[in-house]
Amino acid sequence: MPRSPKPVPLTNLRAGARVKLHEARVDHECREWLRALGLTDASDLRLCKHGDPCIIQVRSTRIGLSKAVASRVFVLDGPTASEP
Amino acid sequence: MARVALIGNPNTGKTTLFNALCGARARTSNYPGTTTTIRTGALDRHQHIEVVDVPGLYDLHHHTPEMQVARGVLDAAGRGGADVVVIALDAANLTRNLVLAGEVLAYHRPVVVALNMMDLAQRRGLALDADALSKRLGVPVIPLVAREHHGIERLRDAIAAAAADGLVADSPADLPAGHLSLEKLTEWAERVAKAVTDESPRTAQHDSWTERLDALFTHPVAGMLAFIVIMCGLFWALFTLAAIPMDLIEAVFGQFASLLQSALPAGPVRDLIANGIVGGIAGTVVFLPQICLLFFLISLLEDTGYLARAAFVMDGVLSRFGLPGHAFVPLLTSHACAIPGIMSARLIPDQRDRLATILVAPFMSCSARLPVYVLLISLLFANNPLFAGIAFAACYLLGASAGLFTAWIFKRTVLKGHSRPMVLELPSYRRPSFTNALLTARDQGLAFLRTAGTVIVAICIVMWWLSAYPKVGATPEADALRAHAANSVSQQQTDALLSEADALDARAAQAGSFAGQLGHVIQPVFNPLGFDWQLTVGIVTSFLAREVFVSTMSVLEGGVGTGGDDGVVNRIRQMRRDDGSPVFTPATAASALIFFVLAMQCLPTLTVTRKETGSVKYAAMQFGYMSGLAYIAALITHVVLQTAGVR
Repeated sequence: MPRSPKPVPLTNLRAGARVKLHEARVDHECREWLRALGLTDASDLRLCKHGDPCIIQVRSTRIGLSKAVASRVFVLDGPTASEP
Repeated sequence: MARVALIGNPNTGKTTLFNALCGARARTSNYPGTTTTIRTGALDRHQHIEVVDVPGLYDLHHHTPEMQVARGVLDAAGRGGADVVVIALDAANLTRNLVLAGEVLAYHRPVVVALNMMDLAQRRGLALDADALSKRLGVPVIPLVAREHHGIERLRDAIAAAAADGLVADSPADLPAGHLSLEKLTEWAERVAKAVTDESPRTAQHDSWTERLDALFTHPVAGMLAFIVIMCGLFWALFTLAAIPMDLIEAVFGQFASLLQSALPAGPVRDLIANGIVGGIAGTVVFLPQICLLFFLISLLEDTGYLARAAFVMDGVLSRFGLPGHAFVPLLTSHACAIPGIMSARLIPDQRDRLATILVAPFMSCSARLPVYVLLISLLFANNPLFAGIAFAACYLLGASAGLFTAWIFKRTVLKGHSRPMVLELPSYRRPSFTNALLTARDQGLAFLRTAGTVIVAICIVMWWLSAYPKVGATPEADALRAHAANSVSQQQTDALLSEADALDARAAQAGSFAGQLGHVIQPVFNPLGFDWQLTVGIVTSFLAREVFVSTMSVLEGGVGTGGDDGVVNRIRQMRRDDGSPVFTPATAASALIFFVLAMQCLPTLTVTRKETGSVKYAAMQFGYMSGLAYIAALITHVVLQTAGVR
């Protein structure tokens, strides 16, 4: 199944979704923090928990994001992700 | 003397590692020119080697206070610089940790890698080849379980060898030279981690525990319940448990002072030593139980990994006021005492958020205000327990609201700027280390005594002196009573008359002292609030400690104590101004209450604010706006009540 081309915010996904980071539409400071924790450009991540906080796993790092931040992190969802 | 910098990501067990290497003799201090704390200690069995625990950081790209300290330690040559760098890696989280390692290797210093948490990696089904990693990085790699001291000996020897040799390895062959982006470094780190790690199918099973606990602790309802239970426990420990050693300290020092009173010849020297100095030291040491207990418990909570989740629980509420979720522990703690509360603001990662929290923490109604609340509310609502209860709750609410509102204002004005976004690493849950917690408690206690403690002793002595001098002689009324007592037939009457005489002398001494005179002089300033000179003296003396207000008013009342709070309240209710009218009219009692809720009347707290913020400016700001707000609120209260006919 082809990947959906349209980037969606993390808040649109269900727990368990495996996706690839497309773009974080956040301020510079926030982007730097995300990259420092491992969320570099085009990195793969898994959504562990949606809601507030939103919890994602990048490689072996678990990261908690406030809903406000998660709603601005856009990912390319794969075949396993589904709309709520 | 060789200097070793211990660098690594947060949550790599670096604290445990440092404690294992040299914890028993470590010192906590601020990195020069910053308010970032670092710990330094001599390496066990290699006293000439000093280890500096650099605060955890994720990489050397990202501009944070921790990065500046790390750069400072790495860049500086000779004094202040690092001769050897020990990079602590989390074996269960290798890729991200290797990013920092890659950056550090580019500094061309002798490096030893401490591959920690091998037990955690094993439980996750990850088998790491330390030798292979050593070959890839070109530096010694020592596998460790720091918490159980496995591998510590080897690490110590490797550090000593590196310090002696001073040999610098070449950069890893596959690490490109020059300034690298995080993306390039991550790619390299991923390649290295993959090459040295063997994953087994058990990996998924371990993570399910973490998932379940996270689901619980961040659940909107269950998470909040768990949070409330844990925070109540924390608060109970600080409020009740710490009271035991605090009472003990006061009793012991009290006994010691009495001993000195009887042992030394009467005179100013005895007074200075027994009341001034011993009182001063007691007034400082009494803070230790709460500080040590708080840091002990926070260390345990942080070690378990729970605090990171707890920060999210509160973030929704506190972020409306410009404060981070992390601010909850300092603000809650400040309801017991603002001093440990302000010190615990170190938990807050963002400097601006930390500053805002420190500045508003004293608004939280601390336990020292309780005796004052009890007194003033009893004066206001003598026979109305319902209203008294409501008034009590209202005081706490007023304090907390004023604090949150002030934080909101500060974040929009004086402390305007970008706050750190609510993005946190959620470390693995693990069993906390009691050793780490004990050492942290000890270090913080000692750091407090060394810095703020010395200033607080000085303040206590000065405040004592202001109330004790100048000496006034016995009053004529007291002498008359003593003469009467000498002629009395019954022992009971003699005792009663002598007590009365002493009380009259005490009142005269308080009124005639520098503190008393100051009260007279500044009374016009407090006149619009309905305060007379006696109440003003009470305000002045309570700048050392708020609870002193009750004893000052009691002394100024001048009557004989019949024991018990009821007696004190009734006597103070009957206090009269110079013109014969009551001191504590309802309007005055209410405005005094409002004043105490909001005013900054704790010089020890100001001292700690100065120390934690690194600047007198913030302590002055705290004093200024709290006093200003208290004055205005008390003024409005008094005027409104008087206008409404409540006199």
